[in-house]
Amino acid sequence: MRQDHQQDCIEVLIDKARDGQINRRTFIQAMGLLAAVPLALRSGISWSADKPLVVVNWGGDALNAFRSAWTDTFTKNTGIQVRIDGAGPTEGAIRSQLASGQPSWDVVDVESYSAIVLGREKILQPLDYNTIKRDQVAPALSSDYGIASYQFSYVMAWDSEKFGENGPKTWADFWDVKKFPGKRTLYKWMNGMLEAALLADGVPADQLYPLDVPRALKKIDEIKPHVLSFWSSGAESQQLMVDGEVSVGAIWHTRAKLLSEDTDNRVRWSFDNGFINSSSWAVLNGNPGGTQPTMQFIQQALQPEGQLKLFELLGNGPSNSATEKLMSAKQLEANCASEENLKKQIALNAQWYADNYSKALEEYLTRLSK
Amino acid sequence: MTTTLTSTLTAPKPRFSSPGLERGLLLFPLPVLLLVFYVLPFLGVVGWSFSLPTPGIEQYQRIATDPAIHEMLWRTLRLCLTVSGLALMIGYLLAYCWVFSPPFWQRVVEICIFIPFWISVLVRAFGWLIALRSNGVLNNGLMGMGLIDQPLQLSRNEIGVVIGMLHVMIPYAVFPLLSTMRQLDQRVLMASRGLGAGALRTFWQVLLPQTLPGILGALIMVFVFCLGFFITPVLLGGGQTVMIAEYVFLQMFQTSNWGLGAALSVVLLALVSALIWVLLKMTRVNRLVG
Amino acid sequence: MNTHRTSLSTRLLSVVAMAFMLFPLLTVIPVSFTSKRFLSMPEGNWSLRHYEALVSNPDWFHAISQSLTIAFATSVIATLLAASFSLGIWYMRSKWATALIGLVLLPMAIPPVISALVLYFMETKLGRFAPGMGYDTLTGVVIAHVIMVVPYGVVTMLVALSQIDRRIELASRNLGASLMQTTFMVILPNLKLGLASTALLGFALSWEEVAVTLFITSVNVDTLPKRIWSGLRDNVDPSVAAISVLLISLTLLVLIGRLVVQHLADKRAQKLQHS
Repeated sequence: MRQDHQQDCIEVLIDKARDGQINRRTFIQAMGLLAAVPLALRSGISWSADKPLVVVNWGGDALNAFRSAWTDTFTKNTGIQVRIDGAGPTEGAIRSQLASGQPSWDVVDVESYSAIVLGREKILQPLDYNTIKRDQVAPALSSDYGIASYQFSYVMAWDSEKFGENGPKTWADFWDVKKFPGKRTLYKWMNGMLEAALLADGVPADQLYPLDVPRALKKIDEIKPHVLSFWSSGAESQQLMVDGEVSVGAIWHTRAKLLSEDTDNRVRWSFDNGFINSSSWAVLNGNPGGTQPTMQFIQQALQPEGQLKLFELLGNGPSNSATEKLMSAKQLEANCASEENLKKQIALNAQWYADNYSKALEEYLTRLSK
Repeated sequence: MTTTLTSTLTAPKPRFSSPGLERGLLLFPLPVLLLVFYVLPFLGVVGWSFSLPTPGIEQYQRIATDPAIHEMLWRTLRLCLTVSGLALMIGYLLAYCWVFSPPFWQRVVEICIFIPFWISVLVRAFGWLIALRSNGVLNNGLMGMGLIDQPLQLSRNEIGVVIGMLHVMIPYAVFPLLSTMRQLDQRVLMASRGLGAGALRTFWQVLLPQTLPGILGALIMVFVFCLGFFITPVLLGGGQTVMIAEYVFLQMFQTSNWGLGAALSVVLLALVSALIWVLLKMTRVNRLVG
Repeated sequence: MNTHRTSLSTRLLSVVAMAFMLFPLLTVIPVSFTSKRFLSMPEGNWSLRHYEALVSNPDWFHAISQSLTIAFATSVIATLLAASFSLGIWYMRSKWATALIGLVLLPMAIPPVISALVLYFMETKLGRFAPGMGYDTLTGVVIAHVIMVVPYGVVTMLVALSQIDRRIELASRNLGASLMQTTFMVILPNLKLGLASTALLGFALSWEEVAVTLFITSVNVDTLPKRIWSGLRDNVDPSVAAISVLLISLTLLVLIGRLVVQHLADKRAQKLQHS
């Protein structure tokens, strides 16, 4: 082998290794063939295959669910260990990972708009759409820096003990405390709430975006005296409704489903006028585990089998439309992302949130505390 | 021999120059540790308040002028002072009872103070939510006794926050007070009563001044602890009772406004320092610092 | 001998206060026996499933043992540092005392989320110089907890020291004892309650510490509060209530044991008096 060609091979190998495309054993073997083992040992490459991949989500039930649905299979297929950290990857937390100069997170499960915001600031890496097949999800569910991992909805749940069979159906009903008296609950972190307020105020569904924030806040001021609590955790939203403290709530569909089961259908809900939102996979820039394994992981997590498993465990709708083919009729009913249910709902606009969430949230929270 | 000892005791206290190294060894490890591992990184954060998002003092200007921030600060002050005051009073009561009770009652008081420690703050908060709700134990009891005819809204608002925080803070108030009261010379109290002073007067003019260091220590600790609280207020406040700890958290993690979060911590630090300085000056307790 | 009697009104008020302190037990104990998977009253369906979960799930055991180790280490180190610093201040009585105390109290005065960030950055840097001691390590957590806890210890120790008559230090020094001898044989024995309070406080604070811990750990360290807080966005596992009930029972056993031992000792003392 010619000297410069050998050098070239070595460089290519080192690049591939740095990038996580080949593992340590392969690297040493190949370098051995090139009679460059000492160089291999001094290469100072951090071996992603030896390092577990760190996937960060919101903890709790999601820890085991992610394991069963995704990471166990990934480890079986590739030999790469995966550790799940339930720290809750807020935008601020991801920023601090990068600010430390040595991020320890690889893949994160973030709000889709966070992927856009952080991607803009190069805190995230662009996704490798050669490894990840982008067309497995609907176009609105992927961006340069994020691709949807699962979907969930904000729906209206109501207490049938209070209202009988004719419960509130529209957001205008939610705001109508005369016809439907009782306490309400809204989401503290604002997603879906401004939209609900605007719909209640008479804005047509196709004219929602860009959101008229002052108008929405004014409408929320109207209902605020009747809001018992602004829930910030699924547990809280469930607690408020399970005891009948709150008569009508705007909550996650996964919680609503559990509520109707736990209360023997005393709490009713439907996807009508719901708001569907998606959570996205994103990869930190300069992540410790190397680029290749993260993209492989994401691609694998988009496969229908794993997505179905997550749906069965947590109730979140799959992002990969092919998963629907694997679902039974009953499952399709409960799937927020099924064709039928999509027709009933409005999708939250990730781009609007990427551009306006921070500022709108501050105003919203200020109004809440008054 | 006795004369020498007495004269030494009443002589002006000499400065011990030789054990300077030993005293230094006692004194300096902690500040040095904190300097390296905390203060230096903190200065970096302070830097953010002057540089994010743009260099300048705009964050401080915002704090000075934004009414929403003022409202949040006032709410914090109001609630923290209420909780601290109440915790101090109840803590004082419990410490007093502990000191002057027979051993059996001392154990009972101890149980009441230590048991709550083992209940996670989170579980306590949910416990209060269950107990204080409209059809909960407390409301049902009050209505049953005929004291009220409509259930009171005791949770998911400021009242719930005060109750929840108070419950957590009382043991922390008791510790410093217990320490002070334990070393009381009870004969002084007896002498006071013997000389004809009523219970209230004895308390005000004899007991209180003697336990002042404990009271100050408890007040500082509890008040500052309250400022840093956000678990209980978040859970019991109905999402509507935002105080400074949560507000800073929001700035750092939800809206990523690091400059504002950093500036608020600096302001808070300044306020707390001022408070402690004023307290020490007011009561002229230099015994606390020797 | 306590000859000072407390008035009836004082005792009544204190009973009310004590009832308030014990009030949450009314909900925590039943909730630990709920048959549902979320925090709720049992309402007729009592179940041991959450206690079983504690025993069968190794994660809880792991979290508890890590919390215990960290809390214990934190308590010991923080008490040592707080005591030695406070003694140093007490001995020196210089003008710089206030400034030094201010420095030491900083972690207490700064919002916990800021402390969390500060310590996170510190730990990641530390991890680069001393692997095994930084981010996501047990030692790293102990260092961070000690920093957070020591200000409270210092306040407690300073309060305790303020009650000691300076003249015993003087007397001891005049009788020829060195500083160290004075400290260990004269001052510290008078500070037993203060030291115990500081140690206990340090343990309790570290045991409950969550804000900073969430930040400086990832997948390798799991403390009890971290586990309890995990998934708060989704649900709160009633096993948390079960843990509290178990710990309370343990404390009660210890305290009741102490009562019994004391009662027996008193009885024996009485017997000796009469014989």
